[in-house]
Amino acid sequence: MALLETRNLSKSFGGLQAIDKVSLKVEPNTVHGLIGPNGSGKSTFFNLLTGVYQPDEGSQISFNGIDITSSPAHTIAELGLARTFQLLRLYGELSVLDNVMVGYHPHTKYGPLAPLINGAEVRRQDKAVREEMEELLEFIGLAEHAEIPAAELSGGQRRLLALGRAIAMRPKMLLLDEPGAGLSPVNVDNLMSTIMTLKKRYNLTIIVVEHILKVVMSTCDTISVLDHGQKISEGTPEFVKGDSAVVEAYLGREMADEDIRAAMDA
Amino acid sequence: MVFLSRIADLIDALASRHRLLPWLIAYLMLLPLPFIMSTFFNSYLIDLANRSCLFILLAVGLNIVKGFCGQVTVGHIGLYAIGAVTSAVLSLEPGGFGGALGFGLPVWVSIPIAVLVTAFAGLIVGLPSVRLEGAYLALATLGLGESVRIFIAVTPALGSSTGLMMIPAPSIGSFVFDSFTSYYYLVMTAALVGIYFSFSILRSATGRAFQAIREDTIAASVNGINVIKYKLLAFVLSAIYAGLAGALFAHMPPGYLHHNNFTVIEMVTLLLMVVLGGIGNVWGGVIGAIVVTIAYDQTKDLVVYFMDRPIVIQPLVFGLSMVLLVLFMPRGIGGWFEGVLRNRRFIKRSEEKLGGTARNS
Amino acid sequence: MKLMNKVFAGLVATGVGLAATAAFAGDIRVGITMRMVSENGQAYGQMVMDEIKAINESGGINGNMIKATLMNDECKSDKGVANANKLIFQENIHLLIGSTCSSVSLPIVDVTAKAGVPQMIPHSTNSKITQKGSEWVFRIPVSGRYYGGVNAKYVGENIGTKIAYICAADAASVGDCANMEKQMRARFGVDPAYRADVQEKEVDFRSHMQKIKSMNVDGILVAALAETMARALIQSYEAGISEDVRRIGSSSASNAPVPKIAGDAAKGVFFTAAYAAADNRPIAKLFNEMTRKRYGIHAPDHDFSQAYDLVRIMEIALNNADLKLEQWSLANDRTAIRDAIASVEGYEGLASGPISFCAAPTPQCRDGNRTAVLIGYTKGGENFETEVLARVTMEPDFGLE
Repeated sequence: MALLETRNLSKSFGGLQAIDKVSLKVEPNTVHGLIGPNGSGKSTFFNLLTGVYQPDEGSQISFNGIDITSSPAHTIAELGLARTFQLLRLYGELSVLDNVMVGYHPHTKYGPLAPLINGAEVRRQDKAVREEMEELLEFIGLAEHAEIPAAELSGGQRRLLALGRAIAMRPKMLLLDEPGAGLSPVNVDNLMSTIMTLKKRYNLTIIVVEHILKVVMSTCDTISVLDHGQKISEGTPEFVKGDSAVVEAYLGREMADEDIRAAMDA
Repeated sequence: MVFLSRIADLIDALASRHRLLPWLIAYLMLLPLPFIMSTFFNSYLIDLANRSCLFILLAVGLNIVKGFCGQVTVGHIGLYAIGAVTSAVLSLEPGGFGGALGFGLPVWVSIPIAVLVTAFAGLIVGLPSVRLEGAYLALATLGLGESVRIFIAVTPALGSSTGLMMIPAPSIGSFVFDSFTSYYYLVMTAALVGIYFSFSILRSATGRAFQAIREDTIAASVNGINVIKYKLLAFVLSAIYAGLAGALFAHMPPGYLHHNNFTVIEMVTLLLMVVLGGIGNVWGGVIGAIVVTIAYDQTKDLVVYFMDRPIVIQPLVFGLSMVLLVLFMPRGIGGWFEGVLRNRRFIKRSEEKLGGTARNS
Repeated sequence: MKLMNKVFAGLVATGVGLAATAAFAGDIRVGITMRMVSENGQAYGQMVMDEIKAINESGGINGNMIKATLMNDECKSDKGVANANKLIFQENIHLLIGSTCSSVSLPIVDVTAKAGVPQMIPHSTNSKITQKGSEWVFRIPVSGRYYGGVNAKYVGENIGTKIAYICAADAASVGDCANMEKQMRARFGVDPAYRADVQEKEVDFRSHMQKIKSMNVDGILVAALAETMARALIQSYEAGISEDVRRIGSSSASNAPVPKIAGDAAKGVFFTAAYAAADNRPIAKLFNEMTRKRYGIHAPDHDFSQAYDLVRIMEIALNNADLKLEQWSLANDRTAIRDAIASVEGYEGLASGPISFCAAPTPQCRDGNRTAVLIGYTKGGENFETEVLARVTMEPDFGLE
């Protein structure tokens, strides 16, 4: 059974059809790539999956066998769907440790009023959570910076923290929105190997949106290609690379044939 | 700086013995304050301390919704009014001297009911936050706060323009809390407990959820935080503080309330306390409340003669100094304080690390 | 150790600072809390200070100087109470003067009663102030309970009983409306022909005026603060209500902004007050001359006259009181001043009738001024003119439940 499945997923903003009847299946324990030219609707697709946007009438999304089409974002998160953002959206004034502790929020066992009623229990549980989160920070290499505000981290560290915050949610599935944006090639490689380690360690299913096609081609089991909000191709990296519809979509954006091939081959 | 660090070290050392030890010591240190004041200075300072405590409760409460959760509310003073008027009306004798509504309940009963009523009102003031943000939310809450005041102003049963008078002071047996000193123990205890619980909230998943909403609402929601629920909870929690402060104000001798104690001016003063102290910083709210209350009191009788006319320049001096402070200290006193403490922690950790390496090698 | 030294040094420095504000023995310390936010408020405060300065310059009270401290309460009860507490417990005053607004004087009465400090009320008219049973309170202005009676009597006998009421939400106007309504019912058995409750600073009275116009009333009572009242008066003419329908003002009609803003619409408006600038007595003429010269006010309203009368009564009482003015004698001196004010009898000043107090803590004793004067505007605008229509002195028990 597919872990995530969308049927006829659509979203329009005014007259603009951002996502147009996209049906997609993601199998458990796979890495699923999502590519497409700028403005093809990749980020909108993520926003629909995670409940940031509400899909149009007739759409259907199911996650782990549960219909989440019209569920609010926090419910979807509680079901085990985590994501990162292209612009990270870290809690800048909060410490690095607090950022990942917020990520742990769906698994908090005490109620929101517990701090007023049962402080001892809150402290006991928070202590355990803190230790677990410190371990996570250790694993992603941010333990030294646990106390400083997230806004004071370097670019690469911030990407790691965004990842750590999503992992802290103990998700079944992780959506990564351009995890390598703005990183040097070496750092991208490091990041991707971290991601693959995390996948193994936490038994994750991943959907990744990425511009650096090399990354997508080398890590993904399946790739879906979006253009103008429609799914125009899907298959193994080899299949997608050879699909004429994909090449045309990129060419349609006035990109030289050589460029796209070079990018894909790289 | 060194002084601050020393105090922080001391507090840390105490807290490592027992979590509540610093609080207990703070309480014990605050106990003899009225006697120190009346013996060495004058008893008016106790009254000033009492009013500071009320404003501490208000500022710390406002800080929960504005500082922690980032919701711009200008309706807090309306909640203060609801707490005050509810407890007053519940405790006044029916058909009493003032001609207002009265239910004759004991003060110890009327205060908790007033707090509950205010908490519910807080929920209503918070409702616009579901859809509105920033300046729009400020306007909506301002409207709600002002309508509370106007409702009191036009309702004779709630005092209308003559006010609610002769509101009874709390009492235990034959002991009545009607002096500066006895009331000090009530409001000081309430303020300290209020500060303590504010920290309890801040240092829990609830507090982290509030802060996440403040920093980035969308990120918070995909992190599994029910944004609407937590926003409303922040409003309700802050309303509990406002309700308690209001009720304690109502029963504070001479036990008189008038709707013009709850205007936009009072609200701005309150915002000033939170901003001056440092938004989002618990101690900042406390310091802001104390500094503003004392500064207000000290500039009260400043009169200058301009062309042989006496001009009370307090509003000018007060406003100007606050503008300058906010301009040159945007993160407030608390923000500066926090910076000092963070540096200290950083240095301490580096030292530990260096020490550790030295031992290892 | 170092830390303790620093804390101790800080405490000592604060103590020295505070001690410097403590008063010297030998002075008569008077604290004043008033609304100092409006231009008029500032002028009243200034006049009280000037008059006290004049007393000091002419030798003081039996050789003792009066040290006056003036504070602003913005017409807010919480600030007024804080001022009273500060003046009483920090400045150790012998006598408190205040406040302007009834809603501030009401709670301060409880403060002075508990602390045992004589309090002289300069402006507040709310009748409950003297009904709380405090031994320490003395009211210089005419109580609201008398005003209502005077107004109702004159209106019913000279104008008619079909009256429309426009009542603004400020303390004074609400009281004025309620008193008038009560007295019209008691004396003539009539209820208001029309009643509109409006905001304190209402700007639009047109719909009310249209309704009133269609009702053919004998008179309209406009109870509101000065600017609001002026707007309502102007709009009553704009609505086309004939000038035969008499416009009756509430107590704030005596404030200069009413004729100044209302202009021609002020002509024919009459009201009850404690003082008429059109008064022909020499003392009144001298007073008008003084306010014109000193403060540029050509027709002082009763708030000025009351502040002036208050200082004169205070002067008489202080001269008669047996004061020790030592640190230990504070309570005795306060009691002596209270008793001296209570024995002021038949003071003839600017007020339209004599002012007398007595020892019992009752409204009969402490509402010392029982004479109201009916005043009509004969001309509006910058150089407005007034005439005295009648003077009425009420019985001490009048208007009590």
